Amino acid sequence: MNNNIDNATLKEEKRAEFKEWFEFQKKELVKNINIVKQLVLRSIKVQYRNSVIGVFWTILNPLLNMLVMYLVFSSMFAGRGTTQIEQATYPLHLLCGNIVFGMMRNATVQSLPSIVQNRGLLTKNKMSYNVFPLSYALSAVVNFGFSFIALLGVMLVVWIQGQAVFSLNIFLVFVGLPALFLFCYGLSLILSAMYTFFRDISHFYNVFLTLWMYLTPIFYTINMFEGAGPAGAMMKTVIRLNPMYYYVEYFRDVVYRCSAHAYALENMEATEQLSMVATNTQEYLSMVEAATLPGFGETATIYLIGLVTLLVGAIVFMGTKRKFIYNI
Amino acid sequence: MFKSHKKHIMKNSENVIEVENVSMEFYRLNEKVDNLKEFFVRLVKGKLERKTERVLENVSFELKKGESIGLIGHNGAGKSTLLKIISNIYEPTEGSVRTRGVIAPLLNLGAGFDYEATGKENVYLNGAILGYSKKELHKKYQEIVDFSELGDHMNTPLKNYSSGMVARLGFAIAIDVEPSILLVDEILSVGDENFRRKCADKINELREKGVSFVIVSHNMGQIRSLCQKALWIENSQVKGYGEVNQICNEYEAYCKEIKRKSDEEARKKALAENK
Repeated sequence: MNNNIDNATLKEEKRAEFKEWFEFQKKELVKNINIVKQLVLRSIKVQYRNSVIGVFWTILNPLLNMLVMYLVFSSMFAGRGTTQIEQATYPLHLLCGNIVFGMMRNATVQSLPSIVQNRGLLTKNKMSYNVFPLSYALSAVVNFGFSFIALLGVMLVVWIQGQAVFSLNIFLVFVGLPALFLFCYGLSLILSAMYTFFRDISHFYNVFLTLWMYLTPIFYTINMFEGAGPAGAMMKTVIRLNPMYYYVEYFRDVVYRCSAHAYALENMEATEQLSMVATNTQEYLSMVEAATLPGFGETATIYLIGLVTLLVGAIVFMGTKRKFIYNI
Repeated sequence: MFKSHKKHIMKNSENVIEVENVSMEFYRLNEKVDNLKEFFVRLVKGKLERKTERVLENVSFELKKGESIGLIGHNGAGKSTLLKIISNIYEPTEGSVRTRGVIAPLLNLGAGFDYEATGKENVYLNGAILGYSKKELHKKYQEIVDFSELGDHMNTPLKNYSSGMVARLGFAIAIDVEPSILLVDEILSVGDENFRRKCADKINELREKGVSFVIVSHNMGQIRSLCQKALWIENSQVKGYGEVNQICNEYEAYCKEIKRKSDEEARKKALAENK
């Protein structure tokens, strides 16, 4: 009997303890959300302080980048196993690749030195370390939003030129965006933790980023390696091992590729050209494939990559953060 | 598992700070190895020795609500480390620290500022770090501007401020968040005469409200006038703890003794050289 009462009070005590712990955590969370808000605002403002057109650079930058790449690569792109639709939507191909890869680069390059750079705050105040990588990953999302406006502009131009690319599919971007964010955040955690111990990571990472960009189909497509012998087959394998490939392709699919292909198929059916194309089944099938929206498999893939990266990042970060204060 | 919140459960309910047998060790590599190449070269050569440096040894003290304590001792004795342990930036190697209420660490004014951002942005960022919401800061903002006397300067980047202006802003923010414990690290000598008087007034006002202070200073007069207690740390150990005047007298006597000795040595040296 006595034992029972003891057990009950023990349980009660545990519950009270848990409640107190929960309240404490809630307060910490609210505080950290406030800090992250301020940091995101700061990182966006600081980027464009003293520039004349300010935040418009974020919109203009991907456009100018796209223009440069278009001038250099468009002639190479034509006639290398690329279809007519692919050639017509090449500006969008470039822009989507640049925006998605750019978000990853933006988040990681800024996060990398973030803990060391903010040593002034960290050694004078009690605060969580991960607010810095988190805030840079989030500000990369905000920048992605600005770039998205540029994307809409280019789509309008392509549309005026006569390629049907507009559809509501584009809102599926916001289904994929959280997955990309998880990936960027996880990577940022790993890099910022490593940087506190080894400063040469930043030089190494810069070189690595260049390599990574070339191994991501930003200005080419993976199909261009078709029939290029064993070297081409190897390139295809390497690209498939690259997580950014899946993000870039997902975004391209939902932004323009599916709608452009679907529209082309419809058009062919209407003008009874289909019978002509149907003789070439391979082409027809690949068109149908390109016209299908990313389904469960593709979405699950990008989320899985994001979650695994975040998990690894969290483990690395939590495991080393006690030592940060002595190294910054 | 749920221990992190227990830091404010005090042994004696009147206390706001309880420091119990705190020791602090820094693990440092013998030389600072911060690049991968060197790390691996040393790892292979077996030269990656770790040195433990004991910065604080068995320090204990407690502080009641409304009381203030002065930390004294020579440079490098471990006073600032102790402040960082109290404000929970460092975790002590041994022992425990319990505190109650909001702690505003005034360690090195302006160190936490972003010099590219404006004064206003810094107020909001620092306020958030001290745990205040945007709404609360909206209310306090004008007070902070008034106290720091910065007026129109709030919208210019901090890099254009003079060092005195930065210090004033830092002081105004820390003061205005109404902490229950204020940790002060040798910063009461900022600004011009006028502002210093204002700071002293504000500190007295806060003291009357029941805010506790932990002050690191080399100015014995200041410690005597502000604190009831003093903790003297020498070579990472507590050399004296108790009533402020007594400890300060002991410390001053010790300092004189040291100065006398070094003077004598210098004289001897000079004599030897002359011969």
